[in-house]
Amino acid sequence: MIFAILLSLSTSVLTVNTANPPVEEFFASNHTNNWAVLVDASRFWFNYRHVANVLSIYRSVKRLGIPDSHIILMVADDMACNPRNPRPATVFNNANQHINVYGDDVEVDYRGYEVTVENFIRVLTGRLSPSTPRSKRLLSDERSNILVYMTGHGGDGFLKFQDSEEISSVELADAFQQMWQKRRYHEIFFMIDTCQAESMFQKFYSPNILAVASSKVGEDSLSHHVDPAIGVYVIDRYTYYALEFLENVQPGSKKTMDQFFKVCPRIQCQSTVSVRTDLFQRDPKKTIITDFFGSVRNVELLTETLNLQDSTAELSCSKDKCPEDKPPKSGVQPLSYAKQFPMPN
Amino acid sequence: MVLLAEEDKTLHVYAAVGIGVVCLVIGVPLWWKTTDVYRVSLPYSDIDQLAQYKIQYGVDVTVISFDEQMVDADLAALSKHLMDSLDRNPTPGDISSRYRTNVKEKTTQESSLLSSSTSVSDLDAKLNEVYKQDHNHYYVILLPQTSQLKVKAPVIGLNRNIFFTKEEKDIKQLADQIGQTLKEVVVRERSVLKAYEAAKGSRDQKPDKERMRTVRSHPGYDITFTLVNSQPDIIDAQWDIQHAVHAYLEPLTKRLKKYAAINVQSQVLYFTQMMTKPKTDKEKNEHYYTTKELPLIINPIEANLGSPASNNPELNFLVYVPTRDEHPLHIRDDTGMNLASNAFLSPRWGGIYICNIPSPPQNASLPVRPSIDMKKVMEIFLFQLRLLFNLLYQGSTSVDLIPVGNTVVAEWELDGWLRSHCVENLATATATLQSLAQLLGQISNIVINDDIGQEVQSAVQSIKESYQLLKEGFLEKAFLASREAIISSEKAFFDPSLLELLYFPEDQKFAIYIPLFLPISFPVFSSLFKAFKWFRETKGLTKAKQE
Repeated sequence: MIFAILLSLSTSVLTVNTANPPVEEFFASNHTNNWAVLVDASRFWFNYRHVANVLSIYRSVKRLGIPDSHIILMVADDMACNPRNPRPATVFNNANQHINVYGDDVEVDYRGYEVTVENFIRVLTGRLSPSTPRSKRLLSDERSNILVYMTGHGGDGFLKFQDSEEISSVELADAFQQMWQKRRYHEIFFMIDTCQAESMFQKFYSPNILAVASSKVGEDSLSHHVDPAIGVYVIDRYTYYALEFLENVQPGSKKTMDQFFKVCPRIQCQSTVSVRTDLFQRDPKKTIITDFFGSVRNVELLTETLNLQDSTAELSCSKDKCPEDKPPKSGVQPLSYAKQFPMPN
Repeated sequence: MVLLAEEDKTLHVYAAVGIGVVCLVIGVPLWWKTTDVYRVSLPYSDIDQLAQYKIQYGVDVTVISFDEQMVDADLAALSKHLMDSLDRNPTPGDISSRYRTNVKEKTTQESSLLSSSTSVSDLDAKLNEVYKQDHNHYYVILLPQTSQLKVKAPVIGLNRNIFFTKEEKDIKQLADQIGQTLKEVVVRERSVLKAYEAAKGSRDQKPDKERMRTVRSHPGYDITFTLVNSQPDIIDAQWDIQHAVHAYLEPLTKRLKKYAAINVQSQVLYFTQMMTKPKTDKEKNEHYYTTKELPLIINPIEANLGSPASNNPELNFLVYVPTRDEHPLHIRDDTGMNLASNAFLSPRWGGIYICNIPSPPQNASLPVRPSIDMKKVMEIFLFQLRLLFNLLYQGSTSVDLIPVGNTVVAEWELDGWLRSHCVENLATATATLQSLAQLLGQISNIVINDDIGQEVQSAVQSIKESYQLLKEGFLEKAFLASREAIISSEKAFFDPSLLELLYFPEDQKFAIYIPLFLPISFPVFSSLFKAFKWFRETKGLTKAKQE
């Protein structure tokens, strides 16, 4: 109370800063941007469902507002172009074939044999070769919330990549620790849909990680249903029900992570969804789902502007050389031909 | 016959010993050497030491009194009180400030400057010219009450001059006022501390707006100006961005050129609309967004912005021209009033300005091509840029700042920027090196190239240099050294070669070597053992014979 009086006193004696009223000192959320790393680790036609899983999550996070430039999508096989796919260039996550999750604007960052443990760790820790383009990098900072979704075939303490190698839970935990030490995240939500999925997050030791897995150690995660038209299972149970939940989330939604953890009870999943919250500092009941699955930005209204003097063209031209090709300010724009490529002599 | 067998056995034994010696003396070291992981020795102890360092930054202050009423005793008292005031309430933690003060009376040259100046800002410019004021050296000017330039509250000029007028007789009060203004506004100790803590990674307290908004220190930034023409078939707005950048942004980029590479780009997006429908106010016949919708309108547009090729932090500034149906479009604050600027900012991202252009009249030939007032646009964006770069002082200390106007950044603001970025760079680089050292110490399988060794060495060197320079008050040099440090340390930390041999765990080494070495080592060792036994036996025999 006394502090409030002091504050009002001090604002009243302001001479310059009186223009802006005492604004709130904090933003609504503690992160400024959202990233997503979505990984499908298995290949071959019979693992169609894993590709469908990851593409469905991709579609959801994109719908909820994370732009493609902030999504790293790793898909180990190209189901859409598989010769066994009766409907080429499509991937469906449902036998009803309502939504083609391999839609018009899917930007796969790492595909096929590029999806390796090494590349995945490189993306997380940022140890990529200098020639790697921006879109393939996780350029997060200490104010970024990151969603990490993984699917594939796993066992107790590992997730198989490409049938040739595997990432162990220790390696993953160490990678997250490296990210923490280099301040590459603010909070991580780790979601994994694989057999014995819980084992993957048991070794985590870095702060601010919230994790959910489709099954406990010793349990299998099962697929949801088969599409008789293509003869393979099209989606996993946990992801199916998670998507059902996410479909009802709108960008401004107030649904919480706690509600999300209740998705897919044992009766639906036939495996026990397991959650780890001890590393996470906030209460999942108060953490809204769009903190990870969307991108709700902080905003600040501009109450003041800079006062500039009109700087005429002559003034700036006298010091430096004038901009030569100024577009005409109004009226008809002159048309010109596009410049040709230089021809070899 | 017995003798021959004996000779044969001797030969066998020597052969076995020979092979054993070759295996042990040449083979094992050779194997050890060739399979060794190449590791350059790193200055681990130096890195550990860096963490113990306490950052100290020096600031020079010269007080020049134009007040004739102040006698030498007053000046001495002022000097003493000012020192007390500046050393009081040191910022908590590992970081501290060190002020060097000098109080003196005006010279005749200076008093002629005062009498020839028409305004405070005029005097500010003249003093800057005379003293060739350098970074980190501030001049506190005490104006006499009799002067026509006397100021009510402290005034900070565009250069490094702070103007006071002594109102009361009490010198201690004046000293306190000077001390507080220097610490809070000019040097911005609190901002420096915040930058340091953010880089150090202490996240125990909720970050305030300043900390969230300020773009992290980086050797380069990409600034993109985008004009979003939502309905170019009706209103095809034109902007002279090239001229605007030349005229208004360049004073800032030129000043920062030495410290950060700033790339400026511009683009025009057509047929891109806000995905969130604005609310409609039927009474006033206008459309509006509230603070609830604003967070959601950035993302759909951002998806169309494209991204630059570099890995620098991006800052986006958008001018949005609403469609005919949405026009006029306003932003309303929490009290329901239309925002005068019609613009908002997203921390570490940039800003959006909604530019309402009147709809064309019924009989106009479409599209109309109105041009946008770039001065207004730049007034908004430059203010936002000052916020994002944390150049603007937003505190509660009562001071008058001479408006920066077209210079965009005042010299003392630039000093503040250098100071907090230098401290941030130092903290980040130290933390990076520590993390790297810890990682390399933990995992013995990681190859450390000569390149990495060199980068680490130079980073350590630059950090030490920067610490020293900062302490002595050479702000610019300290910043440049800290920038070198951060570039080197990041290069070492993110070097792709660090991951190359990581996927070769210890247990797999045994799996590879045992099938190779076991079949060889078994006969070698058993024959060596036999030879050893034979030597002992023959020794025993000869001894027995001698006896």
